[in-house]
This record gives sequence, structure tokens and C-alpha cells, in this order.
Amino acid sequence: MKLSEFIRPASLAEARKSLRQLGPKGMPLAGGTALHFMPGKTPVTAVDITRLGLSYIKQKGDFFVIGAATPLADIQRYRGPRWAMHEICRRISTHQVRNVSTIGGNIARVFPWADLPVVLLAMDARLVIYSGKEKDMPADEYFSSQPARLFRGGDLLTAVKIPVLKAHHGFGSVKATRNATAFSLVTIAALLELKGGIIKSARVAAGSGIPFPQRLKPVEAALAGKEASTAVFREAAAAAGAAARWVGGEGMSADYIRQLAEVSILDALERAAEFARGRAA
Amino acid sequence: MTKTDHTVNFTLNGEKKTFATRPDEKLLALLRREGYRGTKYGCGQGTCGACTVLLDGRATYACLLYAMQAEGRAVRTIESAGTFDNPSEFQKQLVAAGAVQCGYCIPGMVMSATALMETEAVLEDEIVKEYMDGNLCRCTGYEKIWVALRKTLDKQAAAPARARRKSSSKGSKK
Repeated sequence: MKLSEFIRPASLAEARKSLRQLGPKGMPLAGGTALHFMPGKTPVTAVDITRLGLSYIKQKGDFFVIGAATPLADIQRYRGPRWAMHEICRRISTHQVRNVSTIGGNIARVFPWADLPVVLLAMDARLVIYSGKEKDMPADEYFSSQPARLFRGGDLLTAVKIPVLKAHHGFGSVKATRNATAFSLVTIAALLELKGGIIKSARVAAGSGIPFPQRLKPVEAALAGKEASTAVFREAAAAAGAAARWVGGEGMSADYIRQLAEVSILDALERAAEFARGRAA
Repeated sequence: MTKTDHTVNFTLNGEKKTFATRPDEKLLALLRREGYRGTKYGCGQGTCGACTVLLDGRATYACLLYAMQAEGRAVRTIESAGTFDNPSEFQKQLVAAGAVQCGYCIPGMVMSATALMETEAVLEDEIVKEYMDGNLCRCTGYEKIWVALRKTLDKQAAAPARARRKSSSKGSKK
């Protein structure tokens, strides 16, 4: 993407005003790593949102609040009670990209291979959007289609709120790749709520290998009310085929990707159960 | 957009500088045209790590950073790490281990290792691999680079604490 101008607004209100005026000729810039690869022959004005105090992680009541311009490396290094976000952030791209690329950039425009939408869907996160004032919405709504629809008129994603996991909750994520720093083939995230060895509720989401990140409702349904055991997890993972339209590519068949997803779901569920049973954070 | 109508100010290798630039010029292009040619253009798409520089002490791909993003920040290039006559410890160890073949990846490797040594107190293999995961070498198969780095880190760990603190305070401008 070509840049014709580069501006540094002094406040969130000013950033919104600029983006509003620019319309399709404006583009918010945080880490900027994805901008280099975006098509578009018409030059745009980059609106730098990295100097507006949007880089932070803090625990506030029942949520961890992560500023939209927080680099992935900071999320990877952060440690809070029952914190689970570091594992997936460690698996995104390389050290140099994680230092620059932000959580907001990973989810404001959803690329098919993005990992964080998957994790945030499973975590039941909330997304904070500034439109003169801030309001938040659940991940299910935010990721129901490309979030660009929410940012028309210059509105901006300002923070991500992640529920602090309770003692009997467990989270697990798996990213299947060809090599350590490659884009994801399949990403799975699972949140389990256990009560005495029984699965009280489950949220399982997938990304990559399908057209757009989504929850796997048939997998979740196969877990609810059952015992948290490998046999149950395996049976639930087998519902992956019915849960989403898996897509092949790069020499891999759709059937192979589905099988990869099933194995990854099993792994993610095992990890989530282990976490819920009291894994060291 | 070839018109030069913008300027960017940042600290480069400890010196305050002002450069003329364009909104879509990459930091890598600016550095190289200003004579800082130790920073290499490799893949140009944030994969190989040959263009690694430190931005406020953190390793970053200069090919994926618009020069304007560096405004007010501290940029360090390989030119700050050591010279031919006065190489850094890691540079010495790379030569001693025979880890430099074509040498194109080495400036980036050195900058990633610099970020590692200045940031982390405990230098276990997992942490080292994490800091080095964005630098590719197509000649050596990494073994000799790893040997050179491990020797450098072990030597640093064995150094008196006071010297370590002194050397790490140099770069941490976070």
C-alpha cells in the first residue's frame, strides 16, 4: 500500500476526526507490518495511532484490558493470574515482528491466517471501540464478519478485554504450521469450564484452514455436560467436519486440513483441561 | 510520490539526526542511502532478518518499518555494535567459530543477539532461540552461529555483575 502522507494526531478524538475526513483515503497505522503487503494503487494517508497511550496491559476487575496498540511481544512477556495469552503470541511470526505488530492490527482487519481472532472468540473477549466515546461488544458480534464495517466514520478499536480465567476454567491453544515462524495452517483455541471433572461449558474456535475464524458449535455441543476425558475430547473433535468448511491449499487437501483440525482440537482440549485442573501458569 | 517533502528526527547510534524522507520510504532505504550500509536488504518482506535494527532497544525489521515511524525514537544499526578493528565479543566469536560464510545475515544476527543480551538476565536456550527466530542463514546451517552465540553468552554470564550492568544500561532506552 502506498502512503502519500503520514500524520501523527495528538489525541484519539483528533485521530478519529482525521480518519473520518479522509474516508477511504485514510488508514490507521500501529505496527504497520501488514500495510506493506496490502494491495491498493491509490495512495493513502497513514494516521499513526501509536502515540495515543494505547499500549498497555492492566488487570481491571474481572478483565485484563490490553490497549489496541500493544505489541504482541508485550503480551507474550506479560504475566498475570491465570494468564493464557502468551502462548499464542509466542507462536506469531518472528521476534522482530512481535516487537512491532500489535493486537489491534491482528484483529482490526481479519486475515484468514490470523491467530488472535480465534483465541479471542474462544476466550469470550470484549472489543472496545471508540466513536467519540468508548463502548464494547462481545467477540462473537465483532468477528461475525470483517470488522471493517465497525470502523467506517473513523471509529477506532482502542482495547481488548479478556476475562480473567476462574479457578475451574482452563484454556488451550494450538497453532499448526509447516515451520516455527510460518503462517498457520490451522489454529484452534478452547476454553473449558469444569465442575468436578464434568464439562460445564465449552467454547471452541478455529481459524486458518477455513474462510473466516469462527466458533465450532457442534464441537462445543459434543462437550457440554460430558466428562473431561480424552475419549470425549476425541469424539468432540470428530465433529470438526460438520462444524466448518475446511479448505485445502499449498498441496494439502481439504480432508487433510480437516484431519489436522481434529488433532489440533484434541490437543487444545487436553491443554485446556490440564490448565483447568491446576497447571502452573 | 518521489517528492521529498517530509523530515524525520530520531537518535541514530546515539546521535540526534534529522533526515529528509517520504511518507512511504522504509527505514531500511533511508539508512542505506544515508551510508549505513551494514544493514542489509535481504527479502524485503520481513522474513530473513538481514535488515534487523534496534528500535528503542528492540529488534525490528527495518524493511517493514516506515522511516516516519522512527520519529523521536532511538535507532541502532550494526555500525554501533562493533568495527572491523574493534569487534564486539559476538563478532569475534562468529569469526573464531567459522560461522561467517557469505556474511549477509550476520549484521542482523548481531543486532538480534544485542537485543537479547541487553534485555534478558537469564539466557537459557529457549529464550535465545526466541530472540533469534527471525534471522535466517542460508549458508551455515546455524550450528556454528549457535556455538559462537552460546560462547558469547556464557562468557557474559561469567563476567562480573558490575560489568554486565554497565554494558546493559547502554542500550536500554525503553
